Parts: sequence; structure tokens; C-alpha cells
Amino acid sequence: MKPIEIPTFQPRLRVLDRQQALAIHAAALEILEKIGFKMEHPGALEMLIDAGCKVTGGDWLKLPPYLVEAALASAPKQIVLYDQRGNRAMPLVDGNLFYGTGSDATFTLDLETGQRRRVVLKDVANFARLADGLENIAFTMSMGNPEDVPVEDIYVHVFAEMVRNTNKPIVFIADSGRDIAKIYEIACQVVGGEEELRDTPFLLNYSEAISPLHFPENVMEKLIFCAEKGIPICLPSGSNAGGGAPITLAGAMALGIAENLVGLVVHQLAGKGSPFLFGPNVSTLDMKSTVVSYGCPEWSLTQAALADMRDEIYGLPIWAYAGASDAKVMDAQAGAEAMFSIISSMLSRCNLIHDVGFLEYGNTSSLEMVTMANELIAMSRFFTEGIPINDETLALEAIERVVGGGPGSIFLMDDHTFEHFMQAQFLPGLLDRNRYDPWKEAGTTDLYQRCNLEAKRILAGHPVDPKADEILKGIDRILEGG
Amino acid sequence: MTDLKALTESVIKGDIGTATTETQHAVETGHNPQDILDKGLIGAMDEVGESFSKGKIFIPQMLRSAKTMQECMKVLEPLFQKGDITSKGKVIIGTVKGDLHDIGKNLVSMMMEGAGFTMFDLGVNASPERFVQKAQEIEPDIVAMSALLSTTMPSMRQTIEALKQASIRGKVKVMIGGAPVTEKYAREIEADCYAPDAGSAVIKAKGILGIA
Repeated sequence: MKPIEIPTFQPRLRVLDRQQALAIHAAALEILEKIGFKMEHPGALEMLIDAGCKVTGGDWLKLPPYLVEAALASAPKQIVLYDQRGNRAMPLVDGNLFYGTGSDATFTLDLETGQRRRVVLKDVANFARLADGLENIAFTMSMGNPEDVPVEDIYVHVFAEMVRNTNKPIVFIADSGRDIAKIYEIACQVVGGEEELRDTPFLLNYSEAISPLHFPENVMEKLIFCAEKGIPICLPSGSNAGGGAPITLAGAMALGIAENLVGLVVHQLAGKGSPFLFGPNVSTLDMKSTVVSYGCPEWSLTQAALADMRDEIYGLPIWAYAGASDAKVMDAQAGAEAMFSIISSMLSRCNLIHDVGFLEYGNTSSLEMVTMANELIAMSRFFTEGIPINDETLALEAIERVVGGGPGSIFLMDDHTFEHFMQAQFLPGLLDRNRYDPWKEAGTTDLYQRCNLEAKRILAGHPVDPKADEILKGIDRILEGG
Repeated sequence: MTDLKALTESVIKGDIGTATTETQHAVETGHNPQDILDKGLIGAMDEVGESFSKGKIFIPQMLRSAKTMQECMKVLEPLFQKGDITSKGKVIIGTVKGDLHDIGKNLVSMMMEGAGFTMFDLGVNASPERFVQKAQEIEPDIVAMSALLSTTMPSMRQTIEALKQASIRGKVKVMIGGAPVTEKYAREIEADCYAPDAGSAVIKAKGILGIA
């Protein structure tokens, strides 16, 4: 009999149909063509005017749709991030997805005391090492703005610290053309030169325009720098519903996408074919506390919609978020909100998914949260990988054996179970399934405590392949150079 | 004279049409404009502020009440002689040099105005010199600074320094706020206070001026 061979369907969440996607895109184009935007970088302003934009007073521009089409056509549909040793690590294309941490938190939860305190440079090192040691965390970000480094070069110090403590890809922040050039220099040190970095980039810049429709000079400096050097970049403005954008999600998406398209157009004019990771951040402003929510269903919904728009229209890999919470401690709310965004971002196939491990709407970072999220991602992966159907998994022979095998014959004892159980099941590590008494004897721990211990274990024991001495010395020289 | 209950209720509800009509009515029936302002408008906003800090109403509702109050003020303003309106205090507010974010600043400004303060908004990217210049011009009670970026926080320190240099620092209270700003930083740069959000900004402002 011919063996059963059925490709495994992998569940995929869809939240927008084509008609809706086109409507939002049309609205975005209309915003650019009829309302316009403020471009404060003189070079970018000139580039846009030369390309066909209309000036309507000072630095206010209107952009014709054909410029958007041209930019979408020339931007690469696949962005590959490499690790710091030149290995292909994150091919951002289609439905490939990768999770990583976040940046710019002011506080962190102390691993020893559990106290919320200001971030210091050592924390950046710890988060990088933890990311390096966690299987389902593909890239690292700073997880904080340390208070013990000079603020003028804060992002350079933070980047260097991440380089020292992980070999995974890095998504980094910079302030302007000035410090991004230093970060670039450090990155070239790591791989051996500019050409090597262009060929095998291990870094991606995260910059933001200001909603609504405001493009500051320092932000455009970074965009143009990355376009010229071929460094991957994303430019998601904070077009949060009720904050920088209208309260209704369709309008917030249209505005955020419009802003993103301005960035894309400038980017492709400055460096045709350079990699641009697409997408705005469309969360919502909480209407009581005025925080931009990191645990809300709105953000998960708008990025799922963006993924559908990618598939229908844009074709470019997209930026997204997951694994964060508005809770101030790692409690049930933190678990619930983190899982909500992790599973939905995975089901909608967002590509580069950041902010894993944040509490307090992004203001506090937590090693325990990252550790928990690592397992939640694995659990979600099991679900989204679907149910393989073939002769082995239908297990008819095993069923016949066990049923016909007399008293004492159980599936647990059968060879089929022994051969398949590790792939057939999701195997939890930190999620506890013990019976009550052993759980009690082991110390009645909750998930936060177990994640705390696991984070400590990884930080103490995970070996990060060190960089060569010359590289480290080169980095020190650049930092001292001032 | 009719009482001001209908006026305060319409401000609390955010019913601009009724509120402006009631304001006019109050004027016509002999109420003193300052009384209408204090008991009718600011009184209503105090209640709104209290409901808001108890989590009973949402920001858009609070802002609608503030807007309603502003519309009523337009009716009253011509009736005051120049300089006669007694406000809770004069506040210069701005987002500091290098920083272009203003949602938080605008919220604080609206809420403080609703509470009875007179606001002078310098907008975004406001240099230390601009803060000093405005302070020399209007002699504020409070200088309030906002920043969203860690990298622009030093401008707060520089502005305080500039106020010192211009011999203004001792005559004003300095308040700071914004996402990366902390109580600790406020102490470090010798600001008078830090407020974590728009709601507490009003309470803290009243506190540092010693008023209700």
C-alpha cells in the first residue's frame, strides 16, 4: 500500500481580507498625497523634491503614489541577518519569524532582590548573555538605558556591551548620524570591514519618526546612513491609536503605514535596493493612564493586519512586537499578556518580533520575563507547526499491537511511544506539571521563581564565545576616541 | 441670581452648548465673572479631576470638560479687566531642546489649565534661552519641562543652570516629567519636583505652590 504522505497544514491567522488591505493602503497613499508630512532634513527634503514631491510651505511636502510604488519595487523582499561570526541566522522573508528582546527601558528587575531599579551597563551585558543562551531568542536588544555611562554616547556604549556579550544578531538604537557612525565602526571591527558588514550584516537599526507625520533631522540622518551603507533598518513611528494617531485602528494603521512609506521612499532614494524592514508600531494609548499599552489586544491585532497587508500588497518583511506586559511585576497578567502577543504574532507570521521580556509597558525589563517567554514561544511553535499526518503518526500498527497485546499492554510500554514521544509532544521545562506533593516538596515555587532560578543558571553557566582580543581592543579604542 | 449648578453639570458632562449658554445666563443674572470662573468652571474641573484620579472617567472625557471650560472662558474673558483674572498660577511649559515629542506636554498643559493655571506653552525643542526669555517676560510661578528621550534630558539640567545664571531660579518652582525622567534625576539636577503623569502634575503643582 502506498504510504500516506500529506503535507502538514500549519495554522495561520488572518484578520484582514484583500479589500480591507487595499482600503488601508489607499488611505495611506491619500494621506501622503493630500495631507503631506513635515521633512526637517534638508538633504532628504531636496531628494524628495527632485524625485517629484510637491512643497506646500516651508518643509511640508506632498508625495505622489508613484514614488511609493517605485520604492516598494526596489526594496528587497528578503532581508538576511547574520550572526556576528558570519553565519546565516535570520532570513526575514515570507512567514519566517524570529523573536528578540527590546530597548530603552529605564528600569529593570534586580535578579537577586526582585526590586525595580535603574538599569546599569552590567544589565545590558546580562540580557545579551541570556539571549545568547536561550534557544528561542534569535536576536538581542539593549533591554535598558544604563545610568552609569555618559549619556551623549549612551547607545555606542550599549552596542559595544552587547557585542561583548553575545554572538547573535543585534537590533540597536542610535541618536543621530554622529553616534550611528561610531556604532557602524564597531560593527565593522567585528566582521573585518565595511564590505563584510554589507554582505553579512549582524545588525539592524531601529529608529522612529514622530507621529503624526513629522520627520526630524537626526532620524533622517540615521535612515540615510543605513541606506548608503546597506545596514538593515526599520522606521516604525509610534502611531499609537489615541496618541500620535487616530483612536480607530484603521486610521492609526493608515497613518503609521503612510509614515513608514515616507521613510521607505527616502531610504530607497538614498540607497536603492538597501534593506528596509517594514511596518509601524500601532498600539493604543490607555485612556485612563495615558500609557502606550504593551499588553493590549490592539497591537497584536494591528500587526496581524500588517502581516496580511504584507502578503496582499507590500511583500516586504515586517517589524512586530510580542512577549511584553503592562503589569509591574511578573504575575498572571504578565503571563496572560505575553502569551497573547506571542501566539498571535506567530499565527499571523510577523517576521522580526521584538520587546520580549518587558514589563510596565516597556519601562522595566525582566530577565525572568525573557526566560518565561522563551518557553511560551516553544509552546506556541508546537501549536503552529500543526499535526503531521502519515503512517507513523496515524499509528495503526501500534494501536493493533497494544489492543491485541493482552493484559499489561499499554501505549507507554510500546516502541512507538519510545521512538516518537520527544517529537510528538511539547516538553515543558519551566511550566510545571508536577503532582501536588512533589511540587510542595520542591518548594511550592511559582513560574516567576522558577524563571528567576533558570535565568541565574544560564547567566552563571552559559559560555558565550568570546571575541578575539584585537576586536575587543579595537572596540575600546573607538569608545575612548570620543 | 440663579445658582451655578446647571453650569457645573454641563462642564462636567462636556456639553459645550449648554455650558456656554449657562455662562452667559449667569453673567446676565448678576454673577461676578470671577465667581463664575472659580465656582462654576474651576469647581467643575476640580470634580472632574477627582473623578479622573479615581479612575471613574477617561482622558477624552476629562479633556472634553477642559475644552468646555475653555469655551466658557471665551464668554467671560471680555468681562475681565486686563490682568484681573486671578489664576492659580502662571506656568511656562515646554519640551526641552533636542526633543520633538509633545503629547505628554500637551496633556499636562490641558489638565493644568483646567485646574485654573495660566499656561504659556513654548512648544517643542525649547532651548534654555527660550525658557529664560519667557520667564523674564511673564514672571511665572512654575517652569515645567518635558522630555521623552534619555539623550535630551541633559537639556533640563542646562535650563536650570540658565535660570540660575539669569537670577530667576530662586523666583520659580521647577517641575520635570517624561518617560525616562525619574524622581532621582529631579533631585540630581535640583528641580523642585517630578511628576510621573499629567494627573499627578496638577496635584504636585498645587503642592509646590502651597495652594488647594
